Amino acid sequence: MLAKLMKYEFKSTARLFIPLYAVLLVFALLNRFLNPFRTFEAAENFSLQVFVRGAGMAIYFFLILAVFVTTLVLIIQRFYKNLLGDEGYLMFTLPVKTWQHIANKLLTSIIWCILSALVVAVSLFVLTASSELIRLLPYIIEGIKNTFGIAGFFVLPALALSQLASGILMIYNAMALGQLFQKHRLLASFGMYCVLYLIQQMIYVICMLLLANTAFMTLIRSASLTPLGMNLFLGSLAIGGLIIAAAHFALVNYVLNTKLNLE
Amino acid sequence: MNKLLECKNLSKYFGPVRALDNVTLTIGSGRIVGLLGPNASGKSTFMKICNDLLTPSSGEIRIAGFEPGVESKKIVSYLPERNYLNDWMKVSDIISFFDDFYADFNKEKAYDMLNKLNIQAEDRLKTLSKGTKEKVQLILVMSRDAQLYLLDEPIGGVDPAARDYILETIIRNYNENATVIISTHLISDIEKVLDDVIFIKEGQIVLHKTVDEIREETGKSVDSLFREVFRC
Repeated sequence: MLAKLMKYEFKSTARLFIPLYAVLLVFALLNRFLNPFRTFEAAENFSLQVFVRGAGMAIYFFLILAVFVTTLVLIIQRFYKNLLGDEGYLMFTLPVKTWQHIANKLLTSIIWCILSALVVAVSLFVLTASSELIRLLPYIIEGIKNTFGIAGFFVLPALALSQLASGILMIYNAMALGQLFQKHRLLASFGMYCVLYLIQQMIYVICMLLLANTAFMTLIRSASLTPLGMNLFLGSLAIGGLIIAAAHFALVNYVLNTKLNLE
Repeated sequence: MNKLLECKNLSKYFGPVRALDNVTLTIGSGRIVGLLGPNASGKSTFMKICNDLLTPSSGEIRIAGFEPGVESKKIVSYLPERNYLNDWMKVSDIISFFDDFYADFNKEKAYDMLNKLNIQAEDRLKTLSKGTKEKVQLILVMSRDAQLYLLDEPIGGVDPAARDYILETIIRNYNENATVIISTHLISDIEKVLDDVIFIKEGQIVLHKTVDEIREETGKSVDSLFREVFRC
């Protein structure tokens, strides 16, 4: 059932993301050819060429912004509208467990976040005529290897994923709690987000205070950071993120299971 | 009488408001039941609880022995009183959607009804009029071979001519072992199709009888009895 849910979730979101990605890549390509002889840098006076070039770049950066904003808006909107709005009457009467609805939204959101980041990265390669950036790539990889060790290639993505998951689930949680209110649900959701954020920060501070005098902190504070020390630190952050994500998931599931209150 | 739907002391409070107040009710298979009451009498709340869209404050509810959940949703076909269609799908997409999720969905039946009502399968849901959307929802709901149909105000938003067709559709498309519960306040329109009648007032069941019993005992039609019971 989760696979079926994801199939429809992708269908309903892809129709917005795919054209946006395509437009971004096209504009990256256009910008690359708008500046074949580096006219922008060479021009001494204002010329139409410079204007076109400037406008092209402005649109390109606007599109990058649009990709990120769309990703965030859709994470919010798909949950709010599809589950907590009128469409919720359809979704919650499907023979599907509540956790599968949440997992569906979460997984598709994570995948779109990753794709958005990838497409923006690819567009940068396209824009800069790629060769320099591609030549830099081995150095970046080497750098990661030296600072984090081979384990870094697992710990860093794990950290990013756990942070992404807990971030998205916190938004869901805010909306799930916001729908408990009879009126001004959107406003209540914003309020709930602030409350959840505050609680999360408090938990971080408490954890830091608890760990302040342990061997763990000595390891991190040591002058020369070893890859082992880095990975231990980032790995525990990743695990912390996962625990927070799991807590959010459990709360969203509880609220939607027992306190669902569609308008 | 077998027990398809059974409630015991079912209550739902919204703060101080008692939307459902100590409802005890048994409905068997093979019936067409009118759930009748004025606005805000608890009809929709009752249907939402049956569909697991609301959790009761107290009491019990069982549908074919199941508490509202995945198992009950497989056998209950629900028409809510609002439009739940999203705006990006075509009519054919939402039919595939139902076909994917409900094992008892009959695609041919759905297309057949679409044809009869002159609704184009390739039209986008967004472009349909309000009445057509309601018809599409009814087609989706009635194309399932469910055990229990819960129809919340199925004729509220359509013109009187379409009402007859819709009622006919409802009667023609449920099998003899299934039960249909129709909530409405447009009683005279549906009176002729009902087997049983439940009057609900301020969250409480005030009457649960067969239409024949009502006629024999009071000599009145359901419509005139309703006007008497719910006189303002």
